[in-house]
Amino acid sequence: MALLEIRGARRVFTTPEGGKVAALDGVDLDVAQNEFVTLLGPSGCGKTTLLRAISGFEALDEGSVRLDGSDLSRLPPFRRPVNTVFQSYALFSHMNVARNVGYALEVRGEARPLRETKVADALEKVGLSGMGSRRPGQLSGGQRQRVALARALVAEPRLLLLDEPLSALDRNLRQQMQLELKALQARLGIAFVFVTHDQEEALTMSDRIVVMREGRIEQIGTPREIYRRPRNRFVADFIGETNILVLTVERIEGAIARARTAEGCVIDLPSAGRAAGERLTAVIRPEDFTLGQAGIAGVVSRAVYLGSDLILFVRPEGGGAEIRVTARDRAGAPEPGAPVHLSHDPVAAHVLEGA
Amino acid sequence: MTPRVAQMGLGAFAALFFLFIYAPLLLIVAYSFNSNPVNMMIWDHFTLEWYTGLFGLSERGPEIGDQNRALYLESTDQMLKALRTSLTVAAFTTTIATLVGTATAIALNRFRFRARPFYSGFLLLPMMMPDIVLGIGLLIFFVTIGMNLSMLTIVIGHCTFLISYVFIIVQARIAGIDPALEEASADLGASEWVTLRKVLLPQLAPGILGGALLAFVISMDDLVITYFISGTENTTLPVFIFGMIRRGVKPEINAIATLMILASVIVAGLGLWLRSRKAD
Repeated sequence: MALLEIRGARRVFTTPEGGKVAALDGVDLDVAQNEFVTLLGPSGCGKTTLLRAISGFEALDEGSVRLDGSDLSRLPPFRRPVNTVFQSYALFSHMNVARNVGYALEVRGEARPLRETKVADALEKVGLSGMGSRRPGQLSGGQRQRVALARALVAEPRLLLLDEPLSALDRNLRQQMQLELKALQARLGIAFVFVTHDQEEALTMSDRIVVMREGRIEQIGTPREIYRRPRNRFVADFIGETNILVLTVERIEGAIARARTAEGCVIDLPSAGRAAGERLTAVIRPEDFTLGQAGIAGVVSRAVYLGSDLILFVRPEGGGAEIRVTARDRAGAPEPGAPVHLSHDPVAAHVLEGA
Repeated sequence: MTPRVAQMGLGAFAALFFLFIYAPLLLIVAYSFNSNPVNMMIWDHFTLEWYTGLFGLSERGPEIGDQNRALYLESTDQMLKALRTSLTVAAFTTTIATLVGTATAIALNRFRFRARPFYSGFLLLPMMMPDIVLGIGLLIFFVTIGMNLSMLTIVIGHCTFLISYVFIIVQARIAGIDPALEEASADLGASEWVTLRKVLLPQLAPGILGGALLAFVISMDDLVITYFISGTENTTLPVFIFGMIRRGVKPEINAIATLMILASVIVAGLGLWLRSRKAD
């Protein structure tokens, strides 16, 4: 049995103009013990509403939230065995770090000596030993983040909810915290439900990613599944750079289906499930194209420098949308204006559901 | 104009500005130490007798005669009684206005209910109302319901508008508090009551204290409204001073005024200190 089971969650908001917006429109989700699940989507997709429905700050119009098989719907937030790390950290500025971290225990009425041991323990887990007497105002952004984490963990929740906790940190610190969070989750063995709009963050940390749009789940899968086998155009577009190609299958040649864009670019696909004359949409990631002597002929229109790599925008000879290709930044890398040929492994081409 | 000249001009302007604001106050302080009893604008010599006189310790007996001296002491007694009345009224008013104003600010900010904007609008109205209207209104009201003018009516009268002041100040503070703080408290297992006690009230403390100080100062200072509703038995200090001035400015008034300035500076300093201490 899953640790957390959400069934048919619906939540409708009334806009100031009197319209109705479904922030959650029939969401089903299971989270297993020890699992790191990320809710990913653009702002307004319902990911935060879903998180708040679990923590109890948002009531559902329909559907149920079950933890360990028991229904949470009727419990107020302070009776739910889940804890949250808030986006703004929400540290109590009138208390020092130790009292912040020990707040859940203080409220529960645990004896002071036990409390102090647990607080010291939690601070050590997040690498803040000896900082207990500081005020939140004296800490850096990264340290505050850790205090918020320790404060939520000290209550020993069955499930930890994290609402875009890294969005206020600068890039280096964010990447460091991503690894730390993942390691911490694996060590503690409790389930994390993590909300973000940052696809890189989702790919780095998650066991599974839930991609949401307009109150619905578009796809649930491992980071690799989401990246390599997106179900539809939205998921493909939202996660990473990609080339979306509208194709018509011309003929099947053994394991390969040969397809063509309207402008005549030839793209090879795996033939399984394909039929000649079929129209479909396929995605190929920029890094799956190789520059060589054969394949689609085109001209580099511009090059975007990314550090170790370049993204080349290649205009096919036959016309049509530019194709994005990743190339190593080294001597001999094509400059804008250079003629190139693009080839790809047919297996790298992934066909989306629907047309 | 060169920047240097402009800067000097600005400096001169600032100096004149502060002179303009503080000159009348400094004049009162200076006069309160002038020993000339007839014309305070002519400097005689330094004295503390107006201060000692306030507390019945003056040695000026022979000059003013025994009968005058008795009258003098009686008026000093009355003044001290007025001060006590003012302090008592201010203490009760501050307590009530702070409790009600704070509770109202919390209710209007943290709960959603029908006609909320209507309530906040009507809470601000007493502040905008001319004092004289409020004073007459209160007087007519007390007479209509047959309530004798007493310290109680002054407290009720002061509360009617000081609740609004406390409300405004606490409301400004509460609007700046991240609602996630209360959510975090609930998330960590605290009931609403515990959250109020351990998170919201401590976070609001500077605002509540500021509101209370302001209520206290305004209550101590109010003349117009109090004038209508204080009756003859319970004069407050401002009403008493106003009465004294009608019989000519006695030098003692300068001494009282100076003491009141001192008290205000202490209260304001206390407020600033509390604010700076809380700002972390």
